[in-house]
Amino acid sequence: MDLLHLQQVTIGYRRDRPLLPPIDLNVRSGDLLGILGPNGAGKSTLVKTLIGLLPPLSGTLALPLGRRPRLGYVAQGSRPDFTYPLSVLQVALMGRDQQLGPWRRPGKADRAVARAQLEAVGLAHLAEAPFRSLSGGQQQRVLVARALTAEPELLVLDEPTSEMDPAAEHGLLSLVSALVGKRDIAVMFVTHQISAAAGFASTVVLLDATKQYVETGPARELVSSERMTKLYGRQVEVRNENGRALVWLSGRTDAAEGSATP
Amino acid sequence: MNFWDARFLWQEPMLAAVIGGALLGYLGFFVLLRRIAFMSAALSQLSGLGVALAFWGGSLMGISPHDETPWWLSPGTVSFVFAAVGAVLMAVPSKSKRVTSESVVALSYLGASAFVMVVLSSPRIAQEAHEIGDLLFGNAVVVKRSELIQLAAAAVVTLVLHGVLFKSFLFASFDRDTARVFGVPVRPMELVLHLTLALSIAVATRALGALPVFAFLVLPAGAALLFSERLKPVLALSIGIGVVCAALGYYLSWTFSLPTGSVMVALAVCIWVLAGLKRLVEKLR
Repeated sequence: MDLLHLQQVTIGYRRDRPLLPPIDLNVRSGDLLGILGPNGAGKSTLVKTLIGLLPPLSGTLALPLGRRPRLGYVAQGSRPDFTYPLSVLQVALMGRDQQLGPWRRPGKADRAVARAQLEAVGLAHLAEAPFRSLSGGQQQRVLVARALTAEPELLVLDEPTSEMDPAAEHGLLSLVSALVGKRDIAVMFVTHQISAAAGFASTVVLLDATKQYVETGPARELVSSERMTKLYGRQVEVRNENGRALVWLSGRTDAAEGSATP
Repeated sequence: MNFWDARFLWQEPMLAAVIGGALLGYLGFFVLLRRIAFMSAALSQLSGLGVALAFWGGSLMGISPHDETPWWLSPGTVSFVFAAVGAVLMAVPSKSKRVTSESVVALSYLGASAFVMVVLSSPRIAQEAHEIGDLLFGNAVVVKRSELIQLAAAAVVTLVLHGVLFKSFLFASFDRDTARVFGVPVRPMELVLHLTLALSIAVATRALGALPVFAFLVLPAGAALLFSERLKPVLALSIGIGVVCAALGYYLSWTFSLPTGSVMVALAVCIWVLAGLKRLVEKLR
């Protein structure tokens, strides 16, 4: 199922100053779309445009469904205010707002959906626990459960793991990847980790506002030593060994399990 | 005359204090968690400036503070308009890199405080300044029937709006960006929330006084957040602590001839300290 078509779309905050060259992109159910680029590349601006928080500056953003796809969203950094006295279930239930609108309150069926998503992320036993009492990794999983509670057609993860170490990010993306495998949805994730894009994305968007560079294509082709070196401006080597994407970044090794071409 | 025998004297002010304690105790939940305590103080000052300007405008038209004023120049109307305009302006996030939201709040607070004093020192209303001071900053000992009715009406309006929109207020406050993506009309919700706050502050400040209003907006919810980690108990405790401080504070001030507003505030502080001690003991265990 086609969800979004971008034709020659430019993005940014000022019409006379687009951040990047025009972008062409199709998002379909089942896609695992990785958005990769250095700091200030325009990744979050692209995501905000795709989910309707920012209008495109020019070009066409077509909605093949005749409406915006139903969204699940985990925001950049994902640091909601942890002083709120909310239970894990109450946070997950917020995901039902698209279905309920501002007036209706969640009912039994909504609670059942939220509990099922908490079960899917392995946190059903903590449904009644205070959200703020959870560890950082558990809170991230609750936010993923909230996004899934929306029963999304497009799940958007905007650097949800920016405060996590690579192992924790790998764990979260493995979880999302496994969940997506069971549902007919598309996932778009923004990441700084080359190995995450290599390990989990089927399609990638490489971008850098400073170099006015945008490229879209299959991950197995674009997540290469040559393109990563160009994108990050330093020596990067990417290798596929026994289903593992191995990335060497100026002497540092960054590894991800799984196939680079899922 | 004992306290009960004198109930015809204190029934209305006590009722006003209890309604104010409950209303402001509830709103304090959002005031504290949205970190807008200073904004609530600024709204109180702006509503005070509205009262002062209403009297000053009345004096220009030859209306004495004791006479009936046209509705559009009544202290209640003008104070609400000032607080509402302030609430709207402060609800708009500053896009300027040089003017922060905090500086807008501070400017409103300081500007309103200074201009109130300037208006009150005007020779046109100098004779009524003391009386106007009571209207501006409240006097919980004596509350007019009209003020009680306005306070009850503000409580009903707030109850209805928050009863319907609480879920959206909560989501927009907890995680603004995600709420927007999930279709919550965040800005309109923030506007409605701030307007109910402005209405409640404008009405309650005139009935109870600036100090108790600010205290009821901050202390009961602060104590409740220390007592519990659950949403419903926190809300119930915020309202309950506001009611207890208002009623018990009034009773103690009557019995021991103490200043009413200050006793209410002191009680709220004591409950907050108790909550803090309870939390400390729990942490040490």
